[in-house]
Amino acid sequence: MEILMTVSKFASICTMGANASALEKEIGPEQFPVNEHYFGLVNFGNTCYCNSVLQALYFCRPFREKVLAYKSQPRKKESLLTCLADLFHSIATQKKKVGVIPPKKFITRLRKENELFDNYMQQDAHEFLNYLLNTIADILQEERKQEKQNGRLPNGNIDSENNSTADPTWVHEIFQGTLTNETRCLTCETISSKDEDFLDLSVDVEQNTSITHCLRGFSNTETLCSEYKYYCEECRSKQEAHKRMKVKKLPMILALHLKRFKYMDQLHRYTKLSYRVVFPLELRLFNTSGDATNPDRMYDLVAVVVHCGSGPNRGHYIAIVKSHDFWLLFDDDIVEKIDAQAIEEFYGLTSDISKNSESGYILFYQSRD
Amino acid sequence: MATEGGGKEMNEIKTQFTTREGLYKLLPHSEYSRPNRVPFNSQGSNPVRVSFVNLNDQSGNGDRLCFNVGRELYFYIYKGVRKRQPVVLQIKSQIYSSLLKKKAADLSKPIDKRIYKGTQPTCHDFNHLTATAESVSLLVGFSAGQVQLIDPIKKETSKLFNEENSCQHLWKVDWNEERENEGSKTSEEALVTVQRLIDKSRVTCVRWVPGSESLFLVAHSSGSTYLYNVEHACGTTAPHYQLLKQGESFAVHTCKSKSTRNPLLKWTVGEGALNEFAFSPDGKFLACVSQDGFLRVFNFDSVELHGTMKSYFGGLLCVCWSPDGKYIVTGGEDDLVTVWSFVDCRVIARGHGHKSWVSVVAFDPYTTSVEESDPMEFSGSDEDFQDLLHFGRDRANSTQSRLSKRNSTESRPVSVTYRFGSVGQDTQLCLWDLTEDILFPHQPLSRARTHTNVMNATSPPAGSTGNSVPTAGNAAPPPLPRSNSLPHSAGSGAGGKGGVADGAVASGVSKFATLSLHDRKDRHHEKDHKRNHSMGHISSKSSDKLNLVTKARTDPAKTLGTPLCPRMEDVPLLEPLVCKKIAHERLTVLVFLEDCVVTACQEGFVCTWGRPGKVPAEPFSCSQEGRMQGVLQDQD
Repeated sequence: MEILMTVSKFASICTMGANASALEKEIGPEQFPVNEHYFGLVNFGNTCYCNSVLQALYFCRPFREKVLAYKSQPRKKESLLTCLADLFHSIATQKKKVGVIPPKKFITRLRKENELFDNYMQQDAHEFLNYLLNTIADILQEERKQEKQNGRLPNGNIDSENNSTADPTWVHEIFQGTLTNETRCLTCETISSKDEDFLDLSVDVEQNTSITHCLRGFSNTETLCSEYKYYCEECRSKQEAHKRMKVKKLPMILALHLKRFKYMDQLHRYTKLSYRVVFPLELRLFNTSGDATNPDRMYDLVAVVVHCGSGPNRGHYIAIVKSHDFWLLFDDDIVEKIDAQAIEEFYGLTSDISKNSESGYILFYQSRD
Repeated sequence: MATEGGGKEMNEIKTQFTTREGLYKLLPHSEYSRPNRVPFNSQGSNPVRVSFVNLNDQSGNGDRLCFNVGRELYFYIYKGVRKRQPVVLQIKSQIYSSLLKKKAADLSKPIDKRIYKGTQPTCHDFNHLTATAESVSLLVGFSAGQVQLIDPIKKETSKLFNEENSCQHLWKVDWNEERENEGSKTSEEALVTVQRLIDKSRVTCVRWVPGSESLFLVAHSSGSTYLYNVEHACGTTAPHYQLLKQGESFAVHTCKSKSTRNPLLKWTVGEGALNEFAFSPDGKFLACVSQDGFLRVFNFDSVELHGTMKSYFGGLLCVCWSPDGKYIVTGGEDDLVTVWSFVDCRVIARGHGHKSWVSVVAFDPYTTSVEESDPMEFSGSDEDFQDLLHFGRDRANSTQSRLSKRNSTESRPVSVTYRFGSVGQDTQLCLWDLTEDILFPHQPLSRARTHTNVMNATSPPAGSTGNSVPTAGNAAPPPLPRSNSLPHSAGSGAGGKGGVADGAVASGVSKFATLSLHDRKDRHHEKDHKRNHSMGHISSKSSDKLNLVTKARTDPAKTLGTPLCPRMEDVPLLEPLVCKKIAHERLTVLVFLEDCVVTACQEGFVCTWGRPGKVPAEPFSCSQEGRMQGVLQDQD
């Protein structure tokens, strides 16, 4: 198994050489962006879920910049974040403009830290994204706490220490938005609203719809009744209620997870919804709350993690990203330039017969301001 | 499984729907599709489009349609609703089949069929001026950038554009004769992949210049649009362009060469693909929608930018003009339809009903009306209806005269209603009414809104120009003011002085629209000449029409809150009066004809929906019932 993999890896790196220079030629020396590097990532046995998310994040510029800035800070004990910073730094400082890099240290660290990923199985890219962002946020918060305890911060008193976990890190500054959860008791008409933060939004998908429609659906009013009744503080009892969630604070980078994997009770397993869900290159949200601070934010699509195949535990992940004015497709160690029009191929299928599709799974939209 | 995934959204496909004017019904016998229903992957192929032409041959059967599916192109006799078409395939009896043989051949068999290799047809347009029973001029645009001029009646391929080396001799032409075995004999045309010197990108839209027998305009996904003349050659060298005119976000070049050659002009508009363009009903203005999300309206002859509009977000995919040229509707990737006033250059309404991108918008000239707001007056017999609609056959011109017409001298307010429709990738058809309260928001809300019944309007005398009769106070907005306070906002309904003034304006605007076909033809011969040989009428100075509004356009993100792109809460949001799922696949065609509505989907099924009272199967009872439903609906 190991040997076989190494051979195939070696083979793919060899072919990659030709591919890489072809990419460079296709973009052209004049057009090739200064200080930009397009490096494929070697697959270490079903690690495409990880590779695709890493590539997408690398091309979320604010995130990349923060990770690289972290790398330039004083050396720290190895963590998932230091491994990520090393990987990004290694891509960003390559002499060549295109090529392949093995993200070995990062994968090893990931497998060591989380037993969920410590195998050669295909994993859910969204789960990985969540884990990665939360882990980085935890590391940063922990470091901040340490620094305060070490008295490096002059005003590190007890009060701020207690608040330190709520302090937003740069992960929060980039990805965190706020939802407001409005519940209206149908008996006393009292509206209670509760805010909750999110790093990404998971939306249900329907056949032949747009991501805009899916987001509207996310904020549709739902009725809480029968066993799901709502405890109304005013009535002091369980009541029927209307509930809806709207976006109150729009994040800098809006990560949208399309819920394409649905658990089928009668099959006792997940199946893939390959529905055609179109996503525009420009996006605004319709499902913002009345008191939203920045409801008109214009977003640009910057990266898409695409799932290829028929189920969550099989198949393949690739990433398409926007770099400067063109689009690139990262398929593990292969990097190709694609036409913006080719993105159409990743919307999904209009036929319900086939579950097997190459369809957008996580969309990354970056705010224009 | 599939049903579970979709949940309640997997609702059934509708075969009929009711509006205020009655019941629209799918006519199963009038469905067109590729004759051989071979498994077909609609994924990734070009949108199915449909073009119509009337051959003016007195037979009453002069309608023809053309549609593309995948790499195929079909040309059929279009029956529409006029005659009940028997489904002969299901009739075994020999007597019947021999009796009906001729008719059967019409539907089950195309007059012409072409299969292309290496390139796919993407769009097409008939020349309505030159169409006769013996010959039609059909332009076809292709995925690899070529444009072909064919005559599907003579079965000729006369010309090829943007495909030099004039490789026509390489084409294998093998026409399907009267063979029973469909598909075995077809004309296979290999558009040889040689260098295309003008534009290599996909043709997104092709149209004859209105009133011209030889000029046509071709838009490409590169963002460039070219003006061609069928009489000229394309040359064997790459064209050299010379700047003719430049403005904010557009440039127009002429082709520099010793002898006149194609393209005559190259328009570069906006960024990214130019998805569709549409000429105004008078042919003077050109509305373009682009992937960069902008609508840009040009004076076609003087190459001046008249106005722009930005989508709420995402690309704009489709555009159409109201029959009187006063409004433009666009649809796009924001799932919205947007109504833009040509006169005021501003967004007057948006509409939300689609669950995905809007692929086609079209005005319904036959249901756009001026009417009284009394719902109890049902004067319309079928005859009236026929009369009313009959002379609207030619490009909806009659609608204009009806629009500028006052149908009653009583002081009751008159309601102007524009009807338009949209279809989208969500497989839904939406119908929208653009009513007075939206068009003239300062006026007290008229209850007329819910009464759109066309039958209600009394038929104006045929041939009337509308000039002599003062129109209703608000039948037409005065073209001048950009301010929000329209001068006629007060005292609506009073057919007084203001009404007369407005009427004059309206008839002025409508003048072109009442020209007969002959007038148009004559006039445009002259125009042709001018357009071909002199560009002198285009001032080369930078466009002075570019006002502050268009300058603010530079950064699309900053357009929000400006007249280019008002905030959602700043303009009325329309709701569709009908919103129905009518296909399995995404919809790509919507055409409003006199007695039917035509839709088509990506799978290549062209469907005909009989209008109320026009469904032949149940001649009267059904439509009557439909109307009653319409009335009932009005009450709630």
